[in-house]
Amino acid sequence: MEPGTSRSDGFPAAGGIRRARFLVFILLLSILPSISVFGGVRRFTFLYEANTSARGSLELENWVTWQRATGPDRFDQVDFRHELEYGVTDKFQVSIYLADWFYERDREHSGFAYSDSAIELIYNLTNPVVDPIGLSIYGELRAGDRLIELESKLIAQKNFGPLILAYNATLEAVWEGSDLAEREGEFSQALGASYEVSPRISVGIELLHESVFPEWRDEEGIRNLFVGPNVSYRHRNWFVTVTALAQATDTDSEPDFQLRTIFGVGL
Amino acid sequence: MRNLAILAMAVVCLVDLSSCGTTSFTPPPVTPELAQTGKGQHGDIAMLREGRALFVHRCIECHTLPAVSSHSAQQWPRLIDEMAGRASLKPAERKAVLAYILAARTQ
Repeated sequence: MEPGTSRSDGFPAAGGIRRARFLVFILLLSILPSISVFGGVRRFTFLYEANTSARGSLELENWVTWQRATGPDRFDQVDFRHELEYGVTDKFQVSIYLADWFYERDREHSGFAYSDSAIELIYNLTNPVVDPIGLSIYGELRAGDRLIELESKLIAQKNFGPLILAYNATLEAVWEGSDLAEREGEFSQALGASYEVSPRISVGIELLHESVFPEWRDEEGIRNLFVGPNVSYRHRNWFVTVTALAQATDTDSEPDFQLRTIFGVGL
Repeated sequence: MRNLAILAMAVVCLVDLSSCGTTSFTPPPVTPELAQTGKGQHGDIAMLREGRALFVHRCIECHTLPAVSSHSAQQWPRLIDEMAGRASLKPAERKAVLAYILAARTQ
Protein backbone atom coordinates (compact mmCIF):
# COMPACT_ATOMS: atom_id res chain seq x y z
CA MET A 1 0.00 0.00 0.00
CA GLU A 2 1.18 3.53 -0.66
CA PRO A 3 1.99 5.41 2.51
CA GLY A 4 -0.85 7.55 3.73
CA THR A 5 -3.65 5.72 2.00
CA SER A 6 -4.78 4.28 5.32
CA ARG A 7 -5.23 6.39 8.40
CA SER A 8 -4.81 5.14 11.92
CA ASP A 9 -6.55 6.47 14.98
CA GLY A 10 -3.84 5.46 17.43
CA PHE A 11 -1.15 7.91 18.55
CA PRO A 12 1.48 6.03 20.53
CA ALA A 13 4.14 7.90 22.45
CA ALA A 14 7.14 9.38 20.67
CA GLY A 15 9.32 6.69 22.28
CA GLY A 16 8.20 4.16 19.66
CA ILE A 17 9.37 6.41 16.85
CA ARG A 18 12.69 7.04 18.60
CA ARG A 19 13.22 3.29 18.94
CA ALA A 20 12.46 2.77 15.24
CA ARG A 21 14.93 5.50 14.25
CA PHE A 22 17.59 3.98 16.47
CA LEU A 23 17.08 0.57 14.82
CA VAL A 24 17.43 2.16 11.37
CA PHE A 25 20.64 3.86 12.45
CA ILE A 26 22.16 0.65 13.83
CA LEU A 27 21.19 -1.31 10.73
CA LEU A 28 22.77 1.26 8.43
CA LEU A 29 25.96 1.35 10.45
CA SER A 30 26.28 -2.40 10.18
CA ILE A 31 25.80 -2.45 6.41
CA LEU A 32 27.63 0.68 5.21
CA PRO A 33 31.21 -0.62 5.28
CA SER A 34 30.53 -3.53 2.95
CA ILE A 35 28.49 -2.04 0.13
CA SER A 36 28.82 1.07 -2.00
CA VAL A 37 26.73 0.79 -5.15
CA PHE A 38 23.49 2.30 -6.38
CA GLY A 39 20.12 0.55 -6.57
CA GLY A 40 18.44 2.71 -9.18
CA VAL A 41 16.60 5.91 -9.90
CA ARG A 42 12.84 6.32 -9.58
CA ARG A 43 11.19 8.44 -12.27
CA PHE A 44 7.79 8.07 -10.59
CA THR A 45 6.65 8.14 -6.98
CA PHE A 46 3.15 6.62 -7.23
CA LEU A 47 4.22 3.93 -9.71
CA TYR A 48 6.87 1.26 -9.72
CA GLU A 49 9.14 0.60 -12.71
CA ALA A 50 9.79 -2.87 -14.08
CA ASN A 51 13.57 -2.92 -13.85
CA THR A 52 15.01 -4.21 -10.58
CA SER A 53 18.18 -3.24 -8.75
CA ALA A 54 21.58 -4.53 -9.81
CA ARG A 55 22.85 -7.61 -7.99
CA GLY A 56 24.54 -6.62 -4.74
CA SER A 57 23.35 -3.01 -4.77
CA LEU A 58 21.89 -1.39 -1.68
CA GLU A 59 19.94 1.82 -1.53
CA LEU A 60 18.21 3.82 1.17
CA GLU A 61 15.03 5.58 0.14
CA ASN A 62 13.23 8.15 2.24
CA TRP A 63 9.65 8.92 1.31
CA VAL A 64 7.68 11.95 2.42
CA THR A 65 4.04 12.32 1.38
CA TRP A 66 1.95 15.33 2.31
CA GLN A 67 -1.81 14.95 1.93
CA ARG A 68 -4.35 17.70 2.35
CA ALA A 69 -8.15 17.41 2.35
CA THR A 70 -10.20 20.58 2.48
CA GLY A 71 -13.76 19.23 2.59
CA PRO A 72 -15.91 18.40 5.64
CA ASP A 73 -13.36 15.75 6.67
CA ARG A 74 -10.58 18.29 6.55
CA PHE A 75 -7.12 17.00 7.49
CA ASP A 76 -3.42 17.31 6.85
CA GLN A 77 -1.22 14.27 7.02
CA VAL A 78 2.50 13.82 6.39
CA ASP A 79 3.69 10.24 5.92
CA PHE A 80 7.28 9.13 6.24
CA ARG A 81 8.86 5.93 5.01
CA HIS A 82 12.43 4.68 5.37
CA GLU A 83 13.16 1.85 2.99
CA LEU A 84 16.22 -0.28 2.30
CA GLU A 85 16.34 -1.85 -1.15
CA TYR A 86 18.72 -4.69 -2.01
CA GLY A 87 19.40 -6.42 -5.31
CA VAL A 88 19.60 -10.16 -4.59
CA THR A 89 20.10 -10.97 -8.27
CA ASP A 90 19.73 -8.81 -11.36
CA LYS A 91 16.09 -9.92 -11.51
CA PHE A 92 15.11 -10.20 -7.87
CA GLN A 93 14.93 -7.34 -5.41
CA VAL A 94 14.05 -7.25 -1.72
CA SER A 95 13.03 -4.15 0.21
CA ILE A 96 12.41 -3.62 3.88
CA TYR A 97 10.25 -0.75 5.04
CA LEU A 98 12.03 -0.10 8.29
CA ALA A 99 9.33 2.22 9.52
CA ASP A 100 6.26 3.92 8.15
CA TRP A 101 5.13 6.71 10.45
CA PHE A 102 3.10 9.87 10.10
CA TYR A 103 2.07 13.20 11.47
CA GLU A 104 -1.65 13.95 11.33
CA ARG A 105 -3.70 17.01 12.13
CA ASP A 106 -7.46 17.26 11.88
CA ARG A 107 -10.32 18.95 13.76
CA GLU A 108 -10.04 16.66 16.77
CA HIS A 109 -6.38 15.87 17.31
CA SER A 110 -2.84 16.06 16.01
CA GLY A 111 0.35 14.13 16.56
CA PHE A 112 2.87 11.58 15.37
CA ALA A 113 2.27 7.84 15.19
CA TYR A 114 4.12 4.75 14.03
CA SER A 115 2.13 2.96 11.35
CA ASP A 116 3.83 -0.24 10.24
CA SER A 117 6.83 -2.03 8.78
CA ALA A 118 6.87 -4.23 5.70
CA ILE A 119 8.78 -6.49 3.35
CA GLU A 120 8.49 -6.12 -0.40
CA LEU A 121 9.68 -8.52 -3.11
CA ILE A 122 9.93 -7.74 -6.83
CA TYR A 123 10.79 -10.25 -9.55
CA ASN A 124 11.56 -9.01 -13.04
CA LEU A 125 10.28 -11.15 -15.90
CA THR A 126 11.12 -9.20 -19.04
CA ASN A 127 13.18 -6.16 -19.97
CA PRO A 128 11.52 -2.87 -20.96
CA VAL A 129 14.15 -2.07 -23.60
CA VAL A 130 14.68 -5.28 -25.56
CA ASP A 131 11.41 -7.15 -24.95
CA PRO A 132 8.05 -6.02 -26.37
CA ILE A 133 7.07 -4.99 -22.85
CA GLY A 134 8.92 -5.10 -19.54
CA LEU A 135 7.06 -6.96 -16.81
CA SER A 136 7.63 -7.50 -13.10
CA ILE A 137 5.57 -9.01 -10.31
CA TYR A 138 5.46 -7.55 -6.84
CA GLY A 139 4.43 -8.89 -3.46
CA GLU A 140 4.29 -7.09 -0.13
CA LEU A 141 3.46 -8.06 3.42
CA ARG A 142 2.84 -5.27 5.89
CA ALA A 143 2.31 -5.49 9.63
CA GLY A 144 1.78 -2.77 12.18
CA ASP A 145 -0.22 -1.64 15.14
CA ARG A 146 -3.57 -3.39 14.57
CA LEU A 147 -2.84 -3.72 10.87
CA ILE A 148 -2.02 -6.54 8.45
CA GLU A 149 -1.95 -6.03 4.74
CA LEU A 150 -1.17 -8.08 1.66
CA GLU A 151 -0.51 -6.42 -1.65
CA SER A 152 0.29 -7.76 -5.09
CA LYS A 153 1.12 -5.81 -8.17
CA LEU A 154 1.74 -6.29 -11.86
CA ILE A 155 4.26 -3.79 -13.18
CA ALA A 156 4.52 -3.06 -16.90
CA GLN A 157 6.92 -0.69 -18.58
CA LYS A 158 8.18 0.19 -22.02
CA ASN A 159 11.11 2.42 -22.88
CA PHE A 160 11.01 4.31 -26.17
CA GLY A 161 14.40 5.99 -26.21
CA PRO A 162 14.11 8.89 -23.74
CA LEU A 163 10.40 8.19 -23.10
CA ILE A 164 9.33 5.73 -20.39
CA LEU A 165 5.74 4.54 -20.08
CA ALA A 166 4.71 2.58 -17.00
CA TYR A 167 1.54 0.87 -15.81
CA ASN A 168 0.78 -0.74 -12.44
CA ALA A 169 -2.24 -2.86 -11.48
CA THR A 170 -2.47 -3.36 -7.71
CA LEU A 171 -4.65 -5.51 -5.52
CA GLU A 172 -4.66 -4.95 -1.75
CA ALA A 173 -6.31 -6.71 1.16
CA VAL A 174 -6.27 -5.00 4.56
CA TRP A 175 -7.24 -6.24 8.02
CA GLU A 176 -7.21 -3.61 10.75
CA GLY A 177 -8.72 -2.58 14.05
CA SER A 178 -8.34 -3.91 17.56
CA ASP A 179 -9.06 -7.53 16.59
CA LEU A 180 -8.30 -7.11 12.86
CA ALA A 181 -12.04 -7.35 12.25
CA GLU A 182 -12.23 -4.41 9.84
CA ARG A 183 -11.56 -5.50 6.30
CA GLU A 184 -10.98 -3.55 3.16
CA GLY A 185 -9.98 -4.35 -0.39
CA GLU A 186 -8.65 -2.04 -3.02
CA PHE A 187 -7.90 -2.35 -6.71
CA SER A 188 -5.86 0.44 -8.17
CA GLN A 189 -4.37 1.20 -11.54
CA ALA A 190 -1.68 3.75 -12.26
CA LEU A 191 -0.27 5.10 -15.47
CA GLY A 192 2.83 7.19 -15.90
CA ALA A 193 4.92 8.77 -18.61
CA SER A 194 8.38 10.19 -18.05
CA TYR A 195 10.61 11.95 -20.56
CA GLU A 196 14.35 12.29 -20.02
CA VAL A 197 15.21 15.87 -20.97
CA SER A 198 18.85 15.37 -19.98
CA PRO A 199 20.78 12.47 -18.40
CA ARG A 200 20.09 14.03 -14.99
CA ILE A 201 16.53 15.31 -15.36
CA SER A 202 13.22 13.67 -16.25
CA VAL A 203 9.74 15.18 -16.26
CA GLY A 204 6.45 13.39 -16.58
CA ILE A 205 2.90 12.77 -15.49
CA GLU A 206 1.24 10.23 -13.21
CA LEU A 207 -2.37 9.10 -13.05
CA LEU A 208 -3.80 6.97 -10.25
CA HIS A 209 -7.25 5.36 -10.18
CA GLU A 210 -8.49 3.57 -7.06
CA SER A 211 -11.52 1.37 -6.46
CA VAL A 212 -12.10 0.87 -2.73
CA PHE A 213 -14.13 -2.01 -1.30
CA PRO A 214 -14.95 -1.58 2.43
CA GLU A 215 -15.66 -4.98 3.96
CA TRP A 216 -14.72 -6.29 0.50
CA ARG A 217 -18.01 -5.07 -0.90
CA ASP A 218 -18.72 -2.48 -3.54
CA GLU A 219 -21.95 -1.10 -2.10
CA GLU A 220 -20.55 2.41 -1.71
CA GLY A 221 -18.98 2.47 -5.18
CA ILE A 222 -15.91 4.42 -4.02
CA ARG A 223 -13.78 5.51 -6.96
CA ASN A 224 -10.92 7.98 -6.73
CA LEU A 225 -8.84 9.49 -9.50
CA PHE A 226 -5.67 11.49 -8.99
CA VAL A 227 -3.49 13.09 -11.65
CA GLY A 228 -0.47 15.35 -11.67
CA PRO A 229 3.08 16.07 -12.87
CA ASN A 230 6.43 14.76 -11.65
CA VAL A 231 10.08 15.72 -11.92
CA SER A 232 13.17 13.67 -11.16
CA TYR A 233 16.78 14.73 -10.70
CA ARG A 234 19.79 12.41 -10.20
CA HIS A 235 23.46 12.96 -9.66
CA ARG A 236 26.22 10.50 -8.78
CA ASN A 237 24.75 8.04 -6.26
CA TRP A 238 21.57 9.89 -5.30
CA PHE A 239 18.27 11.00 -6.79
CA VAL A 240 15.20 12.93 -5.81
CA THR A 241 11.77 12.61 -7.43
CA VAL A 242 8.71 14.72 -6.68
CA THR A 243 5.09 14.21 -7.75
CA ALA A 244 2.12 16.51 -7.09
CA LEU A 245 -1.28 14.87 -7.49
CA ALA A 246 -4.70 16.52 -7.42
CA GLN A 247 -7.93 14.61 -6.92
CA ALA A 248 -10.06 14.63 -10.07
CA THR A 249 -13.02 13.01 -8.33
CA ASP A 250 -15.07 14.32 -5.40
CA THR A 251 -14.42 11.94 -2.51
CA ASP A 252 -14.48 13.93 0.75
CA SER A 253 -12.50 11.41 2.80
CA GLU A 254 -9.62 11.36 0.31
CA PRO A 255 -7.00 14.10 -0.03
CA ASP A 256 -7.63 16.86 -2.54
CA PHE A 257 -3.92 17.26 -2.97
CA GLN A 258 -0.87 15.04 -2.46
CA LEU A 259 2.80 15.86 -2.75
CA ARG A 260 5.26 12.98 -2.61
CA THR A 261 9.05 13.19 -2.54
CA ILE A 262 11.39 10.21 -2.69
CA PHE A 263 15.05 10.77 -1.94
CA GLY A 264 17.28 7.79 -2.68
CA VAL A 265 20.97 7.29 -2.02
CA GLY A 266 23.24 4.37 -2.88
CA LEU A 267 25.04 2.98 0.15
CA MET B 1 -17.39 5.26 -15.34
CA ARG B 2 -16.02 8.02 -17.54
CA ASN B 3 -12.77 7.94 -15.58
CA LEU B 4 -12.46 4.22 -16.12
CA ALA B 5 -12.98 4.72 -19.84
CA ILE B 6 -10.15 7.28 -19.92
CA LEU B 7 -7.92 4.87 -18.03
CA ALA B 8 -8.78 2.02 -20.39
CA MET B 9 -7.98 4.18 -23.41
CA ALA B 10 -4.64 5.09 -21.89
CA VAL B 11 -3.84 1.40 -21.34
CA VAL B 12 -4.75 0.62 -24.94
CA CYS B 13 -2.45 3.41 -26.12
CA LEU B 14 0.37 2.03 -23.98
CA VAL B 15 -0.05 -1.49 -25.37
CA ASP B 16 -0.39 -0.14 -28.89
CA LEU B 17 2.78 1.91 -28.60
CA SER B 18 4.66 -1.09 -27.30
CA SER B 19 3.79 -3.13 -30.35
CA CYS B 20 5.28 -0.85 -32.97
CA GLY B 21 8.33 1.20 -33.69
CA THR B 22 10.41 -0.16 -30.86
CA THR B 23 13.30 -1.52 -32.87
CA SER B 24 14.95 1.83 -33.47
CA PHE B 25 15.60 2.20 -29.72
CA THR B 26 16.70 -1.39 -29.17
CA PRO B 27 20.42 -2.17 -29.11
CA PRO B 28 21.27 -4.64 -31.88
CA PRO B 29 21.13 -8.31 -30.88
CA VAL B 30 24.29 -10.36 -30.72
CA THR B 31 24.62 -12.48 -33.84
CA PRO B 32 27.53 -14.48 -35.22
CA GLU B 33 27.96 -11.66 -37.74
CA LEU B 34 28.23 -9.08 -34.96
CA ALA B 35 30.78 -11.24 -33.16
CA GLN B 36 32.86 -11.34 -36.32
CA THR B 37 33.03 -7.57 -36.68
CA GLY B 38 36.58 -6.31 -36.48
CA LYS B 39 37.71 -9.92 -36.96
CA GLY B 40 36.37 -10.81 -33.51
CA GLN B 41 38.61 -8.29 -31.76
CA HIS B 42 35.76 -7.20 -29.47
CA GLY B 43 35.35 -10.59 -27.80
CA ASP B 44 33.59 -13.90 -28.28
CA ILE B 45 29.85 -14.30 -28.73
CA ALA B 46 29.22 -15.33 -25.11
CA MET B 47 31.01 -12.25 -23.83
CA LEU B 48 29.08 -10.00 -26.20
CA ARG B 49 25.78 -11.52 -25.08
CA GLU B 50 26.68 -10.90 -21.45
CA GLY B 51 27.71 -7.37 -22.35
CA ARG B 52 24.38 -6.66 -24.05
CA ALA B 53 22.39 -8.15 -21.14
CA LEU B 54 24.27 -5.97 -18.68
CA PHE B 55 23.97 -2.90 -20.93
CA VAL B 56 20.18 -3.13 -21.20
CA HIS B 57 19.67 -3.94 -17.52
CA ARG B 58 22.22 -2.00 -15.49
CA CYS B 59 22.40 1.24 -17.47
CA ILE B 60 18.65 1.90 -17.32
CA GLU B 61 18.83 1.96 -13.54
CA CYS B 62 19.96 5.59 -13.76
CA HIS B 63 19.15 6.86 -17.27
CA THR B 64 17.47 5.78 -20.46
CA LEU B 65 19.64 3.80 -22.82
CA PRO B 66 21.76 5.88 -25.20
CA ALA B 67 22.28 4.77 -28.79
CA VAL B 68 25.62 3.00 -29.14
CA SER B 69 26.42 5.51 -31.90
CA SER B 70 25.88 8.49 -29.58
CA HIS B 71 29.52 8.43 -28.48
CA SER B 72 32.77 7.63 -30.25
CA ALA B 73 34.82 4.48 -29.72
CA GLN B 74 37.32 6.64 -27.85
CA GLN B 75 34.69 8.12 -25.53
CA TRP B 76 32.95 4.88 -24.49
CA PRO B 77 35.74 3.41 -22.29
CA ARG B 78 35.92 6.57 -20.18
CA LEU B 79 32.12 6.79 -19.88
CA ILE B 80 31.81 3.18 -18.78
CA ASP B 81 34.64 3.59 -16.28
CA GLU B 82 32.89 6.62 -14.80
CA MET B 83 29.59 4.81 -14.34
CA ALA B 84 30.78 1.28 -13.54
CA GLY B 85 30.62 1.83 -9.79
CA ARG B 86 27.04 3.05 -9.81
CA ALA B 87 26.05 0.20 -12.14
CA SER B 88 27.74 -2.33 -9.87
CA LEU B 89 29.89 -3.62 -12.74
CA LYS B 90 32.83 -5.85 -11.89
CA PRO B 91 35.96 -5.50 -14.09
CA ALA B 92 35.02 -8.48 -16.29
CA GLU B 93 31.47 -7.16 -16.66
CA ARG B 94 32.75 -3.68 -17.53
CA LYS B 95 34.91 -5.28 -20.23
CA ALA B 96 31.93 -7.22 -21.61
CA VAL B 97 29.74 -4.11 -21.81
CA LEU B 98 32.46 -2.18 -23.60
CA ALA B 99 33.11 -5.07 -25.98
CA TYR B 100 29.42 -5.23 -26.89
CA ILE B 101 29.09 -1.47 -27.42
CA LEU B 102 32.20 -1.29 -29.60
CA ALA B 103 31.06 -4.29 -31.65
CA ALA B 104 27.53 -2.86 -32.02
CA ARG B 105 28.92 0.51 -33.10
CA THR B 106 30.58 -1.06 -36.10
CA GLN B 107 27.28 -2.37 -37.51
